[in-house]
Amino acid sequence: MGCWGPFWQGGFVFMNRDLVTADAQRRRAMGQILLLAAALLVLVAISAASVVLVNEARKANASVVRTVEVENHLNALLLEIRRAESGARGYLLTSGPEFLRDHDSAVSNILPYLEKLERLTGDNAAQVEYLRKLRPAIETRLGQFAREMNFVKQGDPQSATAVVREAAAGDTSTIIRDVAQAMRAEEDRLFLARTVTADRTQQLASLVTVAGSGLVIALAGISIFLVRRSSRARDEAETQLRDSNLNLETTIDERTADLREANDEIQRFAYIVSHDLRSPLVNIMGFTSELEELRGDIFKRIAALSRVQSEAPPAPENATDTAEPVLEGPDKKLSEDFSEALSFIKSSIGKMDRLISAILNLTREGRREFEPVWIDTRELIDGIVATVAHQAAEAQAEIRIDALPNIVSDRLALEQIFSNLIDNALKYLKTGVPGEITVRGRTKLGFAIFEISDNGRGIDPKDHQRIFDLFRRAGTQDKPGQGIGLAHVRALVRRLGGTMSVASELHQGSTFTITLPINWPAGNRNIRT
Amino acid sequence: MSNPVTIIMIEDDEGHARLIERNIRRSGVNNEIIPFTSGTEALNYLFGKDGTGLDHKGGALLILLDLNLPDTSGIDILKRVKENQYLKTTPVVVLTTTDDSQEIKRCYELGCNVYITKPVNYESFANAIRQLGLFFSVIQVPPAAI
Repeated sequence: MGCWGPFWQGGFVFMNRDLVTADAQRRRAMGQILLLAAALLVLVAISAASVVLVNEARKANASVVRTVEVENHLNALLLEIRRAESGARGYLLTSGPEFLRDHDSAVSNILPYLEKLERLTGDNAAQVEYLRKLRPAIETRLGQFAREMNFVKQGDPQSATAVVREAAAGDTSTIIRDVAQAMRAEEDRLFLARTVTADRTQQLASLVTVAGSGLVIALAGISIFLVRRSSRARDEAETQLRDSNLNLETTIDERTADLREANDEIQRFAYIVSHDLRSPLVNIMGFTSELEELRGDIFKRIAALSRVQSEAPPAPENATDTAEPVLEGPDKKLSEDFSEALSFIKSSIGKMDRLISAILNLTREGRREFEPVWIDTRELIDGIVATVAHQAAEAQAEIRIDALPNIVSDRLALEQIFSNLIDNALKYLKTGVPGEITVRGRTKLGFAIFEISDNGRGIDPKDHQRIFDLFRRAGTQDKPGQGIGLAHVRALVRRLGGTMSVASELHQGSTFTITLPINWPAGNRNIRT
Repeated sequence: MSNPVTIIMIEDDEGHARLIERNIRRSGVNNEIIPFTSGTEALNYLFGKDGTGLDHKGGALLILLDLNLPDTSGIDILKRVKENQYLKTTPVVVLTTTDDSQEIKRCYELGCNVYITKPVNYESFANAIRQLGLFFSVIQVPPAAI
């Protein structure tokens, strides 16, 4: 674990930094969104203000135009009154009909002008007041004109002149003049005021536009700055990511190389140790056998000596040298103890030899280069089944093979895997129950899955891990074996890039599942030199 | 054998040496056996002081060689013997615990005449050595000379 420590620490720091940048990024994005929203708001405000101000300006212009119109009408009204007066005078002096026509047309224009004036100034209380004064004066004046004309038409110039004089003496004309003056003054005042308002509105409009544009430009500038900053940050992050990826790759390569080296070291170690263990074992076995022979000689002599002592009759001459000497009492016990000790030593040596051979075979398998070839799985398993036909017949077992997917893998390794599993299935059947062994296969996501099921004695779930350990076995130990098969099978499956598992209950049979890549690439893993 | 053959036994394990000798004797081979427990000693004897192997000119030798020696590798000894002009005709029997096929192949490539793996099972071991002894008694060994 020690050697992994720094690596994980590095990973943790890296992750932390990642979190921080993510946070900052989120904040930056929020800032940008807010900025854009602000810009949009400013734009909307400017637009609204512009619309309002333009409306204002239009209204102010309209007022100005109306003022001008009012003045025009006022002038026109006064002009028509004057025209009517001069027409009347001309008619009075000359009785020419053209003067009468002129006077009549002027009179007919006066009232419409007055009404128009009233309409135009209806919203202005001061003007309405003035007009209220103006209308009776004009009506009086019109009344005077009518009387004057009547007198003239009736041929009474005296009375007409009297009316003219009366009119001149009366204050009607003065009132008309004064009121018109006052109205004009009022309109002038209004005109001035409205012009000022219109000017101010326009100034305000341009000011708002300029200020708004400036603000928008400023916001755009800030946005551009932020975007550039964030893109720079992203570039930096990308570079960092690439660097750390590269670092990670290097680290992984280093670790892989370390692990491979360690693995090779272990293999070499196992190989050397098992070799060197064998040498003394030869001696132990050899000299134990020598001792066994010595034991024969010793006890033969003891037998002979005891015979001499007891002066017993000599042994029959036909007794061969190899026959066990006849011993009695304590001598016999001694001989038996001796044999027992020797047999224990020998059986232990045998066992040790088998273990050492197993280790040697395993290390040799680990060093073997795999060679992926296309394999007809069905044919391969048929071959294995044929070799165990005799055992199967003895165990009254039937081996059924379902449809199997073909794969690209190492043929020898695959043979060893399946023959070990089928062998085990046959070996650990329930006594007295006809065996049923099934080999099934299917494919899934580029992997071939093989299942070898039996109806045998099954494996206690607590032993499921143990059975894959080297030199470990489970269940009733009534069959020969070193506890190597499954360890070997699993090592092979792993080297072929696969996995294996077992599903089993005691007395319920077992199912071994092997998952292997359908197309195992050569040299992808376990490149050994 | 008209020309008495000397058996050179290069074996670092004295127990093994003793067992081998015993079993060879049991098979009725009475030739002189010179045991060596290290490669250096054996090489000194085989190649003599001048290192040419001239000492054994005309003599008949048979080498029993273990591959796992503490000082030199048995393979080296085999190689040097087979490269020496006086010794190259000497039969070399490799008798070792290694049963690695690569190693066996290499030994034969270097000119080893017989390769035997020491069985741990003593009966097989004794049997193998006795048969080797029988083989020694019929084998014709050329004199180490040209």
